[in-house]
Amino acid sequence: MQNFFNAYTSINLIFLLKGLWITIEVSLISGALSFIIGSILGVIRYAKFPVISMLIGFVIDILRNLPLLLIIFFTYFGLPNFGVRLNIMTSAIAALTVFEAAMFAEIVRSGIVSVPRGQSEGARANGLTGIQTMWYIVLPQAYKRMIPPLVSQLISLIKDTSLATIIVLPELTYHAQIIYGQNNSYIIPMFLAIAVMYFIVNYCLSLIGSWFGRRRHSQTAH
Amino acid sequence: MAMIEFKNVEKYYGDFHALKNINLEIEEGKTVVLIGPSGSGKSTLIRTINGLEQIQAGDLTVYGENIAKKKSDMNILRKNVGMVFQHFNLYANKTVLENIMLAPRIVLKRDEKENREIAEKLLEMVGLSDKGNSYPDMLSGGQEQRVAIARSLAMKPKVLLFDEPTSALDPEMIGDVLEVMKKIARDSDMTMVVVTHEMGFAKQVADQVIFMAEGAIIEKSPAKEFFENPKEERAKQFLSQVLNH
Repeated sequence: MQNFFNAYTSINLIFLLKGLWITIEVSLISGALSFIIGSILGVIRYAKFPVISMLIGFVIDILRNLPLLLIIFFTYFGLPNFGVRLNIMTSAIAALTVFEAAMFAEIVRSGIVSVPRGQSEGARANGLTGIQTMWYIVLPQAYKRMIPPLVSQLISLIKDTSLATIIVLPELTYHAQIIYGQNNSYIIPMFLAIAVMYFIVNYCLSLIGSWFGRRRHSQTAH
Repeated sequence: MAMIEFKNVEKYYGDFHALKNINLEIEEGKTVVLIGPSGSGKSTLIRTINGLEQIQAGDLTVYGENIAKKKSDMNILRKNVGMVFQHFNLYANKTVLENIMLAPRIVLKRDEKENREIAEKLLEMVGLSDKGNSYPDMLSGGQEQRVAIARSLAMKPKVLLFDEPTSALDPEMIGDVLEVMKKIARDSDMTMVVVTHEMGFAKQVADQVIFMAEGAIIEKSPAKEFFENPKEERAKQFLSQVLNH
């Protein structure tokens, strides 16, 4: 028992927190970027523009079906063969952004599709253009509906940052590995510590998500 | 010149022939009622008038614009042609007042003060002055439909289309909505095209009745003539079924 808590020295804990900070930083940047890019891609795919929508659909489908681990690996080790050399942090963020953008694109597209057709028919009949209908009526309702899958995807993103250990990103999981690399008896304490940290971050995220999802009136059509 | 004119109009859904050789003229200011059994094409017909459905052949002229032509701008057409739907289609994420004021604000660029005055007056006309800040999900069906009518009127259209406006309402609420529609028919010079099963309403305010079945117009007559003396067998059959409840 005594041995167990030995792992939790202040040096180790601070080291873990530094890793957590990188995890949060990478998550925030790739989360924000991929959400914006994914939204744009999702709307384009929904709008079915000739040629471009199909191309984007194709790219989205490929990315969603590849392992993120592979994409991270390729970004750091493969791209230099094409003349693109990114550092570890940038590679991690780029790979995560690209993958998550594809995932968000599909969430956004299905969110838009889930808004009843009557809403856009009513808007068009009322004189609104297609873009106005999207902006004022459909997208606000679509985003409200998307909150649960969006939060799930963000939680996945935060957890998936741990995959970047393979390119030596100094995030939370990697730092835990360094600590227990020095002493085998630290393995379980470390796993417990990072489990708690991931849990706290993700749980806060879901609380924020439910707060957004709860309003006095549903404000989306049924 | 007729406000709305159909010339040899055909419409298909894939292989299904939904509208067959439609020839129809609707004069300005008149109230025209479209009746017929389910699947007769009445909703399809009315939805071609504001471009929610496309036609495959023939000419359709609305307020001077031939909308069968590729180049016609539907957005401009819809400023002059309003529509009230069977399932209301109010903007779920906007309050009642916002529902009424949105299109005039962003499409017509109406002055904000004028916009609000017009909206409040319309709410008063449909008997819902106290519901301005409510969201649609707090309203009953009849209330929602009256807001929908106010929303269409706010754009000051030349033509108002009604696609089975009372079919989704509980019987007690139908009367309130029909009252508003009768008011519009009597007090304004708006051209109204109404798809409905409410024969009482048709008898009271319709100028012309158009009876459809299986995608074609079977009979079109002045309302009084139609109800007293229907010419076609199919029309007689339909009336006897509907009026004897």
